[in-house]
Amino acid sequence: MTRFARMLITLAALLAAATPLADPAAAQDRARTKEVVVAFAAEPRTLLPDTIVDWTTNNMVEHMYDRLVDRDPKSFKPSPMLATGWKIVNDTTWEFALRQGVKFHNGEPFNAQSVKTTMDYIKDPANKTHYLPRWSQVKEVQIVNDYTVRFITEKPWPGLIDRIAGSDFLPMPPKALKEQGVQALAAKPIGTGAFRFVQWVRDEKLVVERNPDYWQTPAEASRVTFRFIPEFSARLAALLAGEVDIMKDVPPQNVEMLQQSGKARLRATVSSRINYLALVNLKPGPMQDLRVRKAIHHAINVDELIQQVLKGRATKMCGPLSPINVDYSSKPQCIKYDPAQAQALLKEAGVDPTKLQLTLDTPSGRYPLDKDVSLAIAAQLQRIGIKTNVVVNEWGTHLDKIKNRTTGDMFFLGWGPALDAQNTIDQLFSASQTYSSYGNNKALDAKIAQAVVIVDPRKRLEAWAELQQMVHDEVPWVFLWQQHDLYGVANWIEWSPRADEKIWMYEAKLAR
Amino acid sequence: MKGFVGRHGRGVLGLTFAALVLVAAVAAPLLVAHDPGQTDFAAGLKPPGTPGHPLGTDQLGRDLLARVLYGARVALFIGVCCVLLTALVGGLLGLLAGFFEGWTGAVLMRIADVQLSFPFILLALTINAIVGLGLRNIIVSLSVAGWVVYARVVRGEVLSVKERDFVHAAHALGLGRARLLFRHVLPNVAPSIVIVASLQFAQFIVAEAAISFLGFGVQPPTPAWGSMLSESRDYLYVAWWLAAFPGAALALTALGINLVGDWLRDVLDPRFRV
Amino acid sequence: MRAYLLSRLGQTLLVVFLSLTAVFFLVRLGGDPVLLFLPMDIQAKDLNEFRQRLGFNDPLAVQYGRFIGHALRGDFGESLRYKNDALQLVLSRLPATLALAVAALGLTFCVAVPVGVLSAVRPGSLVDFLGMTGAVLGQAVPGFWLGLMMIYLFSVRLGWLPTGGMGSPLHFVMPCVVLASFYAARMARLTRSSVLDTLNEEFVLTARAKGLAERIVIGKHTLKNSAIPIVTLAGLDTGQLLGGAVITETIFAWPGLGRLTVQALLNRDFPVVLAAVFVFSVTYTLINFAVDLLYGWLDPRTRRRA
Repeated sequence: MTRFARMLITLAALLAAATPLADPAAAQDRARTKEVVVAFAAEPRTLLPDTIVDWTTNNMVEHMYDRLVDRDPKSFKPSPMLATGWKIVNDTTWEFALRQGVKFHNGEPFNAQSVKTTMDYIKDPANKTHYLPRWSQVKEVQIVNDYTVRFITEKPWPGLIDRIAGSDFLPMPPKALKEQGVQALAAKPIGTGAFRFVQWVRDEKLVVERNPDYWQTPAEASRVTFRFIPEFSARLAALLAGEVDIMKDVPPQNVEMLQQSGKARLRATVSSRINYLALVNLKPGPMQDLRVRKAIHHAINVDELIQQVLKGRATKMCGPLSPINVDYSSKPQCIKYDPAQAQALLKEAGVDPTKLQLTLDTPSGRYPLDKDVSLAIAAQLQRIGIKTNVVVNEWGTHLDKIKNRTTGDMFFLGWGPALDAQNTIDQLFSASQTYSSYGNNKALDAKIAQAVVIVDPRKRLEAWAELQQMVHDEVPWVFLWQQHDLYGVANWIEWSPRADEKIWMYEAKLAR
Repeated sequence: MKGFVGRHGRGVLGLTFAALVLVAAVAAPLLVAHDPGQTDFAAGLKPPGTPGHPLGTDQLGRDLLARVLYGARVALFIGVCCVLLTALVGGLLGLLAGFFEGWTGAVLMRIADVQLSFPFILLALTINAIVGLGLRNIIVSLSVAGWVVYARVVRGEVLSVKERDFVHAAHALGLGRARLLFRHVLPNVAPSIVIVASLQFAQFIVAEAAISFLGFGVQPPTPAWGSMLSESRDYLYVAWWLAAFPGAALALTALGINLVGDWLRDVLDPRFRV
Repeated sequence: MRAYLLSRLGQTLLVVFLSLTAVFFLVRLGGDPVLLFLPMDIQAKDLNEFRQRLGFNDPLAVQYGRFIGHALRGDFGESLRYKNDALQLVLSRLPATLALAVAALGLTFCVAVPVGVLSAVRPGSLVDFLGMTGAVLGQAVPGFWLGLMMIYLFSVRLGWLPTGGMGSPLHFVMPCVVLASFYAARMARLTRSSVLDTLNEEFVLTARAKGLAERIVIGKHTLKNSAIPIVTLAGLDTGQLLGGAVITETIFAWPGLGRLTVQALLNRDFPVVLAAVFVFSVTYTLINFAVDLLYGWLDPRTRRRA
């Protein structure tokens, strides 16, 4: 290297060593004025609610719009928000009681008309919302009186409450919608939420301010700025420099450094999002034999993966549903790490592990350490002699391959938020579903079709429990884990992350 | 002595660096004890100086020294393949366009224009989005994005060489077009091709880093400096060696080859315009 | 003059048209666009319905015809990913990118040209050696590595500069330095070789023989004549900067066109990709035109060409 360059480097190193971490003046100012900055990797795709299914978008939109029904962050059961109560009136009718005294940001009252207008908006094909297929079973919304609505469905849909308890239904202001139209509402959002829209500078930041007329106690934060920083290390740098206060997805290896930084610390929660290794039986190959699938599962040491690759930041699962899923049953037993059993099963199936050549498709950077986990899995399979070729795909290609059934024998994927059985089991274990890896099991298909229409809650739970056992016994996946969501949170903010991945600054408590 | 240093100093320095890289690439298996793809989960992110791992390990416990040395192979492979492909295709097309002006030349130059109006990285990315990830596909996309430079340069040179007296003379003597092209024009254009090749070599190696940054890196377990740099981003603050050593290797290689290219230009054709 | 302008206009339209056509068919080879912007729990029939409604099930020729028809009216459709007009989205990013490009080019010129001239005037000296090695280093160090190192040093440890985004002149510093390190390096080397060539020309020897001061020899006689390749490169670089500063824009969270285009490519957001290609080709040909005009001023010998 040139002398000049070396001189520069020495100078820079001396400078860096001699100065402490940057002075958090900016953060101190913001602590006084109670302004919070949250860093996201991307900007929202729209500010219209009920339009685009996207975690980033919904997180920001839900600061300005409320859910009709929320999910309790601890028990994950549906909890009141804009609706105060609900019940099933008859097989095809759900009735909701609405909260009184709630106003939209423009002064409009929230009532039954808002709910009806919102459903009309979703079901209008001209609006091209992604939520239309999710609400296809709803025929219409009936107004009983100002604060009571009924959802009429085509067929019995006891799962409606799970569907509605989340981002899938955020009431919109009917008067504003009618008078100004959709585009105006997209440019200037009007909801009932804890924060009001201030400004959106595309690809840079979104600013919202406290709503003093919120139907609950107004938020502590006076202003929230969402900054969009695509590069992970730049986000972390911003957190360490005191420019942002909250960021998601800190890699496990960076946790210690974060805790020692003196500026921010780790806040972790067990997520409802699950990761799994799909063993594809939808095309001819070794995975079509149940014994081979079992053998592969026995050959993989999930605990070692969690300990060594994820540094303990994942919670092992033993079946298709995680314990925080409301329909979870603890009956299915964990399939133990047992290489001897794996060898025995393979021998029984007439397969020689040293002659086996498998392909594992994985995305990169989509789920925590997905590529590294896949490489580790390949290394573990090598221990019993199986050669695995890991193919790293760009995300779009990965989805393409799964949908077209052109992946290898195995693929790595995640699914979430996975808070109820229907949206997990129904989606992933029959051949007709888009991203399924397993199917053509008639008994399973029949049982699923039966379970989704059971109205009685106790019988439903029993049916799903039976299904979990059935799925578990078929070993369609190597059951891996629930992700841990690792957030970096500035020291002056008291905020606990939620398992459903909703980042809501209303819940942030600020240090004095 | 000062004259020698000034004229040839850079070349010597460049050749030294290039030689180092070559030795690393060829002798890699002899120089390291570990296999570059050998994972060891318990030994992840160990710093340089750990016994058995002079440069440290990455997050999966793979030895960094091994990966850097084997990475030299990949770097040189990328450089050589891309340069050969682009020089052959671009050089040939430029030769034809310059020699047979008129329609061929015009069409070729319009295609070049269209391609030049795209930023290089977007073009490479579009191609990778179609053909996929992996070493072979990176070479494909870099070559497709890079042939235009040769075509332009060679065409320009051919146009000027064509006007020179000895070409006119040979033509007057009744030499066939093909013979004229390959025996008289080509040898005079060859120096430019060589010079551009040497400069592009380093560019291609650095471009691999850019493509990996955008997510289209080589497939594991192939160690490539660009991909290693890209992966090191997540561990920048906890494992600086993952970025430092591949980065230094990359810079050193590109530096060496560029210096050699500069020196070649000074020696072969001091009137050459970049 | 009019014939010249018309011919340039014709060439511009041709290049733009060819670019759009090439990209139109190229991106479709990348895969199904509908998959990427719809949620993962979508059913196959709903997927198909979306595809149908967006016109992706029609034969390619029909889709192409429809696209050209709309494009002629300036309508590139709505972005698949965002609910916004594609062309508007692209144009809204242009100012940020232009600002960065201009600033980076400015820095490039201020650094590269003096270094190149100095190196050419004293070839073989220490100044030449350092300057050119520095230039080569600038091209050898990957931009994102440099950028991330700078963020760590100047933002996290020293707190002098913001980590990213736009907003104040301070925000320009690091992105410009990272961009300029590459382009300045190239330009320095080019300046050196171009000035070297000119210095060997006869009219310079004449000027020296006349006894003119070295400063005038270089300043008045050499620079203008060596400027042509420099201007060419600057023109090319501006085009590259508009869409090629992807890495810099990503690292510094700069709301620019390069980043938008790459994301649109990865997300298979065809309308945005095509709108961006349109903007690139138009800009590129406009810059070429400006460069050619500049040629005429710099070297009257080229003015005769039409």
